Amino acid sequence: MRQTKDDILLEINNLKMYYPIRAGFFQRKVGDVKAVDDISLQLKYGETLGLVGESGCGKSSAGKTILRLQNPTEGEIIFQGKDITKVKGNELRQIRREMQMVFQDPYASLNPKMMVGDIISEPIRNYTGQKSKDLKDEVMELLEKVGLTSDTYYKYPHEFSGGQRQRVGIARALALRPKLIIADEPVSALDVSVQSQVLNLLEDLQEEFNLTYLFIAHNLSVVKHVSDRIGVMYLGRIVELTDKNSLYEEPLHPYTQALLSAIPIPDPKKRKERIVLEGDVPSPANPPLGCAFHPRCKHALPECKEVRPLMKEVKPGHQVACHLY
Amino acid sequence: MDPVVEHNTTKIPLNHQKSPSPWVIARRKFLKNKIAMIALVFLVFITVISFLAPYITTEDPAKVNIAKLMKAPSADNWLGTDNGGRDIFTRLLYGGRVSLTIGFIATLNITIIGTLIGAVAGYFGGKVDAWLMRFTDFIMVFPFLIFVIVLNAIFPKSGISALIFVISVLGWGGVARLVRSKVLSEKENDYIAAAISIGTPASKVIYKHLLPNVISTVIVQATILLASMIVFETGISFLGFGVPQTIPSWGNMISPARNPNVIQFKPWIWMPPGIVLTLTILSVNFVGEGLKDAFNPKSNR
Repeated sequence: MRQTKDDILLEINNLKMYYPIRAGFFQRKVGDVKAVDDISLQLKYGETLGLVGESGCGKSSAGKTILRLQNPTEGEIIFQGKDITKVKGNELRQIRREMQMVFQDPYASLNPKMMVGDIISEPIRNYTGQKSKDLKDEVMELLEKVGLTSDTYYKYPHEFSGGQRQRVGIARALALRPKLIIADEPVSALDVSVQSQVLNLLEDLQEEFNLTYLFIAHNLSVVKHVSDRIGVMYLGRIVELTDKNSLYEEPLHPYTQALLSAIPIPDPKKRKERIVLEGDVPSPANPPLGCAFHPRCKHALPECKEVRPLMKEVKPGHQVACHLY
Repeated sequence: MDPVVEHNTTKIPLNHQKSPSPWVIARRKFLKNKIAMIALVFLVFITVISFLAPYITTEDPAKVNIAKLMKAPSADNWLGTDNGGRDIFTRLLYGGRVSLTIGFIATLNITIIGTLIGAVAGYFGGKVDAWLMRFTDFIMVFPFLIFVIVLNAIFPKSGISALIFVISVLGWGGVARLVRSKVLSEKENDYIAAAISIGTPASKVIYKHLLPNVISTVIVQATILLASMIVFETGISFLGFGVPQTIPSWGNMISPARNPNVIQFKPWIWMPPGIVLTLTILSVNFVGEGLKDAFNPKSNR
């Protein structure tokens, strides 16, 4: 696999996103919820990087921070070779043109008071001030691209089902022809029958528009279906990052192993050992010292309690943060 | 690059009718609500005849006529005369003009100021929110009544504008708090994050995305406010601190009822303004209730 600097669309170095906990009359800061705690990753042009982890592990926060909907506490976000961690105002607006988000809940992500046509044309109007018939044609074309009829233009969000709304959300994200789309659990709120349709749509669009996806999800089979590489998150940290085949065939991190063993196999004869994790996910406001996973890990070594494991490349392209390797 | 032109030819003819917007749906629901519509018609009627008073009656609402003190209703004076010998019907019309003007303008001012401050505080949060809300608290603890009384004493010639000014400047606290709390909950919705990520400037996020989704609450609140403003005018004028006695208003017209003789034996003096006032307030409340139902997507009334 060739890997030069030019191939990389997005690079995240030691990104941290802490939410302050405030208490008392003067709202003094008494601690932090460490939603994203020192993650680093790279996204190549045209690839799909899946980010999995259980609820509350910080995957959505990571997505929102990359888009600068939240300001990172620390770290660097480098997009197309440009450090965008601190940009503000108009410069930030120009960068957002290139990266868009598809949101989790299609019921909350569309303004109920706006016509679908206006929702999709708004991003274009924001940047070009374009009005008139050209824009309408463009929007109708987009609607057809995402598999909706062009009369959708004149309807309101409340007239649609979840899957159709999600298509509208995808059309809005596509309107500016971005390079990167952060898909924040785009199918987890949809019916299973609709999920695959939307996933296929996302794949088709990736090919057509040369999109790069950061695909956030908690469903391992969904992630396996769409991703080229997968990052596994636990408590705000990435514990394993590799391409999808080596992750599913040879998971290295004990947490990944436990996660994969929980995927049901549609074959009653095939039985495999399930690794059941004990205890709960610790609070991200007070993560355990050392490796965040050590209180629940069967293989925990003494040093796991003290030293936080760093990501290391154990095999070519296979990174894991664990003292066992 | 874009084959925009061709694909139109292959399309199946589609129904390009516009769907009713949430506003149109609300309006239809409101028009179907009988009580609210009756109330609205009554309100419009009262407003129109009040503002057309000079064309309806030729009597002078302010000129004292000693020859006709406290006369019972007759053919000449349909609703009788008051303690200054002035025609009650005439004063009812002119009084409505004053009371409704105060009500409408004060409500409008309060709603605009309150919505603006509440929306900005709620949307930006943090320091902006803290400063604006402390300022709101400061305004809310101002001794309202004393301010009105003092201002009226200082500017006795100002008529109703002093009263409108004081109400507008000191009355918006409740609306600001309400709007802020609505904005706080509404802005957590992903469509706001989406609007930001597609490059919508903050001012546009507020007026295109947030306000349309909180305005229904504001409108309903405004109707309640309108009713309470009219009542406030009446109350303070009844006590003699509101609209100057020379200007007829519903409150001023009821104030002779402080005299036991009037309240016991001369009901025609205080009953007409009392009844009109009650009906007006009721109508305003019915309209407000109707609006609330109309804006609620879950009600099918």
